[in-house]
Amino acid sequence: MSDQHEGLEGAWREGSQRAGAAYTRRRITIDPVTRLEGHGKIDIFLDQAGEVERAYFQIPELRGFEKFVEGRPAEEMPQITSRICGVCPTAHHMAATKALDHLYRVEPTATAKKIRELVYSAFMTEDHALHFYFLGGPNFIVGPTAPAAERNVLGVIGKVGVEIGQQVIAMRRRLRQEIIAAIGGKVIHPVLGLPGGVAKHVTKDLQGQLQEVAAEAVEFGKFTLQLFRDVVLSNEEYVELITSDDFTHRTYYMGLVDDDNRVNFYEGGIRVVSPEGQELTTFAAPDYLDWVAEHVEPWSFVKFCYLKPVGWRGFTDGPESGIYAVAPLARLNVADGMATPLAQEAYEEFFETLGGKPVHHTLANHWARVVELLYAAERLKELADDPDLTNPDVRTLPTETPVEGIGVVEAPRGTLFHHYRTDDRGIVEKANLIVATQNNAARIAMSVDKAAKGLISGGEVSDGILNMVEMAFRAYDPCNACASHSLPGSMPLLLCVRGPDGGIVERLRRDSDGTVSRERP
Amino acid sequence: MRPAEPVRSEPLPDTSHPLDVRVLCLGNDLLADDALGFRVARALRRELGDRGRSSVDIVETPESGFALLDHLQGVRRLVVVDTVVTGRAAPGTIYIIEENEDWKAGPGTSAHYVGLFEALQAGRAMGLPVAEEVVIVAVEAADVVSVGGSMTEAVEAVLPVVVSEVQALLGE
Repeated sequence: MSDQHEGLEGAWREGSQRAGAAYTRRRITIDPVTRLEGHGKIDIFLDQAGEVERAYFQIPELRGFEKFVEGRPAEEMPQITSRICGVCPTAHHMAATKALDHLYRVEPTATAKKIRELVYSAFMTEDHALHFYFLGGPNFIVGPTAPAAERNVLGVIGKVGVEIGQQVIAMRRRLRQEIIAAIGGKVIHPVLGLPGGVAKHVTKDLQGQLQEVAAEAVEFGKFTLQLFRDVVLSNEEYVELITSDDFTHRTYYMGLVDDDNRVNFYEGGIRVVSPEGQELTTFAAPDYLDWVAEHVEPWSFVKFCYLKPVGWRGFTDGPESGIYAVAPLARLNVADGMATPLAQEAYEEFFETLGGKPVHHTLANHWARVVELLYAAERLKELADDPDLTNPDVRTLPTETPVEGIGVVEAPRGTLFHHYRTDDRGIVEKANLIVATQNNAARIAMSVDKAAKGLISGGEVSDGILNMVEMAFRAYDPCNACASHSLPGSMPLLLCVRGPDGGIVERLRRDSDGTVSRERP
Repeated sequence: MRPAEPVRSEPLPDTSHPLDVRVLCLGNDLLADDALGFRVARALRRELGDRGRSSVDIVETPESGFALLDHLQGVRRLVVVDTVVTGRAAPGTIYIIEENEDWKAGPGTSAHYVGLFEALQAGRAMGLPVAEEVVIVAVEAADVVSVGGSMTEAVEAVLPVVVSEVQALLGE
């Protein structure tokens, strides 16, 4: 996160003006008008023939974070960072807690690690379930060709049935209340993590409750995978959509793996594979600056991550370009397998069906998410059943003088880095976060560009562009957590066609029933 | 240095004995104007005093989407306080929106999005005991992305008005 917003905004304006002066272009702007899309914005530049020269997607980014945390005790970071994000507070809480372990050079006890991973597995299960059913579901449960008016959360409930809808809600509630809140103190802002361990041990009674919910979660994961097979895989049209070239990019992938190169959400080495599936490196979290660099574009506040040793070659894929992806598909691509039996079977089925590793189809993220949901539930159960879970030894007290700490976890949306530098009293002097969406930013920009090029021709802007562009970036589930509420009847997406002078020539508007209307001012 | 204010731990409502009214204040007190919901909640608690606290359930939360479903249940009437950025009105503009047939009937605008309305509709579609009556008090915000920022003047200025609008809706 950067507080260079003002400078970049100036550069963006200047860049736009220069671009406008150098070429005769029409500029189309999809201006979000509600917090749903936050401060994300899609700009589409057309050449004189009316073909898309380049589409730019801007991802919303919070600003001023580094300044805000300066001067605060590092111990506050798990609370502060989890309060910033309303969608994945547990991921920030855990990454911050791990950064504190590193900051104080303290190794948590074995039981403390298990408790943390158990809470984290519950969080991953509930977040993946929510995304699969209700956010990805409109495309993959209701269907990509269903009428727009049905491709929404009500359509999903209509298709899977009220009972299954209730089950999803009930499962999520149990995971949040009976595991995350029971151990973490609060669902929204857990107060579990401390440098060197956790704040609370697990009693025998609580373990019984955890085991019960975990067993239910595994059944839920199995059921969800079967539903995916029945609804999605049995339909050729869906499979064609997943594998279509429109949603394919041959990039590098990054994700955490354990010692046996299997997917791990909580800890491990950060493995990177090439577009051909060869391992480029597996590095330890503290070395991330040797591997991850950030590229700045004049049109965006977001810094685009790329692999430093490969280099930035612009928004292009292939082995020469350092652009990489994170999130469920990337995690499966970097791993040699899953650490639990049912998830391993699902993993094998995934790669067999999609033609081997790595899979470059962005929309396969939805399927990968189901494989991971099952893994998270199975891992949750393993940890809940662990006899050592009730060991009261849950804290190693820090004794070292703090200097610098780096913590990494796999958030539902991909690799999350927390990095703090402090004075010798543990007061934060500098903080840097790289959130999942930032890792994915360059590839998301490529996806939006490809969707726009596929849908705009000869200056004709298809009505379907809003849905297609949205489908292209929603597969990544970009984090715009601060952008969540919208007025009834308002339009989250508004597309403005601008003339060479920047004035609006035509405005496309998507109404609440999904229809698109056009008006000329 | 301003210490981080403690966040209230909000227990999930007991849905077995429906309450009459809940004020659901949405926002995030670390994100500039987005603090409005929390500020309203705190001001309301002061205004209503002990008597009010026993009859009105005031909840403040930074959650969004389906996470809100828990807070929509177990109550007959819901007053939601939030900020919005429509870009179609000056910051500080107050919208009072009563639930109507349009948003009871129509799904959200995005296939992939779940917000307050979608959560309400989904709750109803699944037969969950969500509020029968919903009214929203929303304020046009100028800045909801600056971490640690104070509320902008325009939004700060209408805070007392928002509090009295909510009180009027509560019949106070």
